[in-house]
Amino acid sequence: MRRIAFAAIALTVSGAALAAPEIRWLPDHSAVEVTGIDAALLKGTEATPDKWAALFSVRTDGADEKQPAMLGTWSATGTMLRFTPRFPLTPGLRYRATWQAADGKPVTATHDVPKVNAAPSTVVERIYPGGETVPENLLKFYLHFSASMSGGDIYKHIHLREESGREVELPFLEIDEELWDREMKRLTLFIDPGRIKREVKPLVDIGPALVAGRRFTLTIDAAWQDASGLPLKQKGVKTFAVTPPDRTSPDPKTWSITAPRAGGREPLRVAFPEPMEHALALRLIGVAEVSGKTDLNDAGTQWSFVPDKPWRAGAHRLVIQPDLEDLAGNSIGKPFEVDIAGTEKEKPAAKPVNLEFEVKTGK
Amino acid sequence: MKTLSTLAFSCLALSVSFAADAPAGLTEGKAEFKSMGPITFALDGTLFIADTKSAAIVAVATNDAKASGSAKPVKVEEFDKKVASLLGTAPDQIKINDVAVNPVSHQVYVAVSRGKGPDAVPVLLRSDAEGKLSEVALDKVKHSRAQLPDAPVDGVVGEGRRQSNPRMESITDIAFLEDRVLVAGLSNEEFSSTLRAIPYPFKTVEGGTSVEIYHGAHGKFETKSPVRTFVPFMVGKEPELLAAYTCTPLVRFPINALKPGAKIKGRTIAELGNQNRPLDMIVYKKDGKDFLLLANSSRGVMKISTDGIEAAGVIEEPVRGGGTKGQSYETIKEWTGVEQLDKLDEAHALVLRKGEGSAVTLESLPLP
Repeated sequence: MRRIAFAAIALTVSGAALAAPEIRWLPDHSAVEVTGIDAALLKGTEATPDKWAALFSVRTDGADEKQPAMLGTWSATGTMLRFTPRFPLTPGLRYRATWQAADGKPVTATHDVPKVNAAPSTVVERIYPGGETVPENLLKFYLHFSASMSGGDIYKHIHLREESGREVELPFLEIDEELWDREMKRLTLFIDPGRIKREVKPLVDIGPALVAGRRFTLTIDAAWQDASGLPLKQKGVKTFAVTPPDRTSPDPKTWSITAPRAGGREPLRVAFPEPMEHALALRLIGVAEVSGKTDLNDAGTQWSFVPDKPWRAGAHRLVIQPDLEDLAGNSIGKPFEVDIAGTEKEKPAAKPVNLEFEVKTGK
Repeated sequence: MKTLSTLAFSCLALSVSFAADAPAGLTEGKAEFKSMGPITFALDGTLFIADTKSAAIVAVATNDAKASGSAKPVKVEEFDKKVASLLGTAPDQIKINDVAVNPVSHQVYVAVSRGKGPDAVPVLLRSDAEGKLSEVALDKVKHSRAQLPDAPVDGVVGEGRRQSNPRMESITDIAFLEDRVLVAGLSNEEFSSTLRAIPYPFKTVEGGTSVEIYHGAHGKFETKSPVRTFVPFMVGKEPELLAAYTCTPLVRFPINALKPGAKIKGRTIAELGNQNRPLDMIVYKKDGKDFLLLANSSRGVMKISTDGIEAAGVIEEPVRGGGTKGQSYETIKEWTGVEQLDKLDEAHALVLRKGEGSAVTLESLPLP
């Protein structure tokens, strides 16, 4: 024991005498400092980032000296030089700071940024359409996650399989932009439109992605990472049956409205004979002059609206924007595909559709 | 990525002054971005950056206007690793959104996301011919911003408990042409395609033009069809757009018809095969003839002849049996894995390509 203690003292003393440079990371990983350096080396306030980086640089541990050093800023105080990275360090990575000492021998220090140490908790909360059947010419799915996800190379995690287990090849429109919402909690997954549109080459050559009369399973791999870098808690699965293609526009005249009573905040209910597209039904149907919250059941056939303030008695108007679509992209204003060879003529620009309903007093 | 393709318009462009020191209408300050990419240049070196998350197009003076006649050859191996190293993270934590060449200096600009979640940070980088990377500072630059119109009207009214609107329109491609920026967008809700022509210098944004197409199928069906990638091109004396739709046909339509509220049907000029996604395209001149170069996800890079395009009719019959139809083309076999494409100079393309494994190379290749 005594010998060891002596040795430690001796080292400290000799270290102070030689003023060996020491590298120290700030505990919050926000910067790294090298101390005990020859201040003469730091002279020259004209130093450019390249010059600073030649003296004191940080790289991820996997990057060799040929790779560029990390972007950041340098600040010198006496015999200390501090490097503040331009971006926060990435959890789970090791970084290496290198001080190029005057004697030519580099001084290096590595620094580990701890991984996010939590159990996977993110799940696929909902997949829309939420019903048990979809038309053969279904246009899209929405995947709703319980937390923000990570993007990039996402399509490898999404599989559409026939009942036999055979995977449908390239069923989706894979685009680099990836159609997320701002929070990256909802992904829009379009079926490849070339496999929906009649007489278009992909459909002619290889057929539709979904085939009427068959069952399919959409699977989301658990390996897909959320925004914190953790995999999903479990895979997401939706099985559904396919019905023949739907090529007609939804007709609001066929909807049935159940009007609420005045004085309360009972929901207005609207039933559709066929499922409506989830996001559009929430956004494109409303009540004129009344603010409130819309909802749609999983099957997409029951829409409801709860007003912010109690209903007032009298005539009200349900307003449906013409872009509202069913599951096959047929909008109120126009079917997904218009047969222009036949008798259909160019229609005037579609306008919102109004459906009147009466809010009555009493029970 | 489309800049030099507009050189096809040089006959038009020459009548416009590009000699101004600073592009008109730009003010100095911090250019703010929530996302970056696609990007493109004007002939004077003004960079246009699409910011999908902010629904905006930002014009930035790059101060990189030192003209060089021809570009130096570029070959940067492990380009993604270099970018990741500069940004201090792992290669799987970056995304290269677009690559474009400044037509004046021939320097390469790269729009990158650092991180892959909703908090990913957009970064603009510049690479010289040797692959030395630097960040393009945007804290104090001359810039100008065009805000794209809001999402289509909501049916749900009211404030207070108003539900958040998750609708976004991704910008799938942009190009600069003479005095306007052309922007193609794709909604994450309704299957609509808007193609906007925004007058530049920016003032107000017009409502955008929705483009509709019927595909070469007995002239029978008409559907909305989002544009994946496009390039301006002179057909005779008419400026047109050549566009690849998400469902593979190559179409053309006149730029002068891009007016607010107008509906345009693209004329299918080629069907390029199924299970394939068009990725990026440029036009160039070789031996006095114009060619279109199109990078695809699974059918390689196609060199497409524009011979007779002026008189070419619409493809009226479906193309069956896995074949193709329309303008003739050849696949450039050697150009494997090309994901991004721009013109480096009159004789060279700049490509970002993925090799075996996941090695990403930035390199110049002689135009085929």
